[in-house]
Amino acid sequence: MEQHDVIHQYLKQLERYLARLDKTEAQEVLKEIESHIFDALEQQQHSGQVVDAKAILQGFGEPRQLALAYVAHITNGAPLPAGFKAIQKVKQGVTATLYYAMAAFGFSIAFALFFTAGAKVIMPDSVGTWSAGDGYSLAVGFFAAPYPADQELLGVWFIPIATFSALLVITLTRKVLRVLKDNM
Amino acid sequence: MTADEKEEKTQEKWEVQLRKGTLELVILAALQHRTLYGLQLLKLLQSFKSAAITEGTLYPLLDRLKREGIVDAQWVQEGDVRPRKYYSLTATGHHKLADLITLWRQSVLDIEFLLAHPGPDVLPVQGE
Repeated sequence: MEQHDVIHQYLKQLERYLARLDKTEAQEVLKEIESHIFDALEQQQHSGQVVDAKAILQGFGEPRQLALAYVAHITNGAPLPAGFKAIQKVKQGVTATLYYAMAAFGFSIAFALFFTAGAKVIMPDSVGTWSAGDGYSLAVGFFAAPYPADQELLGVWFIPIATFSALLVITLTRKVLRVLKDNM
Repeated sequence: MTADEKEEKTQEKWEVQLRKGTLELVILAALQHRTLYGLQLLKLLQSFKSAAITEGTLYPLLDRLKREGIVDAQWVQEGDVRPRKYYSLTATGHHKLADLITLWRQSVLDIEFLLAHPGPDVLPVQGE
């Protein structure tokens, strides 16, 4: 069982690093390597050797290195002139920053919405949505000195609406992150 | 590092370079009129001192050869055993092998010629 865990963990990591390949291509690579590993394990068993998955995996090298060899034709389809490497690095850096900034932005908004929904349950009078300035401005939030209660717009509806909005923001953020990751 | 160790290291480096340079030829030669799956091919290569490579080198290389149309791959299921991916040469692969064989044989001839004709005799230089 332990041997199988080691193998599955290796294949899982490899799958992650193969994300740049087409899904079908990546599955094909994984299928072949998996087939090899289990074949080699069986051969060890038949020849009465110690069954050692780690020794077999060692021949494949680190999952990241192995995946790099498979995606090399995508990352360097045409060799870049000297000096261009630095530019590529900067570009990659920007994408990574953008990725994490997007994650922080989206998830913090979702967290704030969840938090206000929770706060509404505990302190219904201090949390809510108010209209001020004859409908020209809208205030959503958590106030120490609340607006007059009769102007609060949503009442208990605030809770499902804020929760739903939070879930929507999470879904959208994840979608955007997936697109960013594919282009990283 | 002692002189012996240094020499051993240089020799090892040369072996690695040589293996790298001839790897494609070795794989094509192994697949000449023969269909093998990855593990079979690996075991075959590992049985030769000068062609012993690892899984991590073989599989990505086969992937590249397949993309270049030099080898063809086919999943085959025999009986109850899990399916295996068998490789064989394409027509392009056979042509490529013929080209590599010519280069290899020329290279061996040239080196052997030099080895067979040590100094101080002057050798005629071609093209002069």
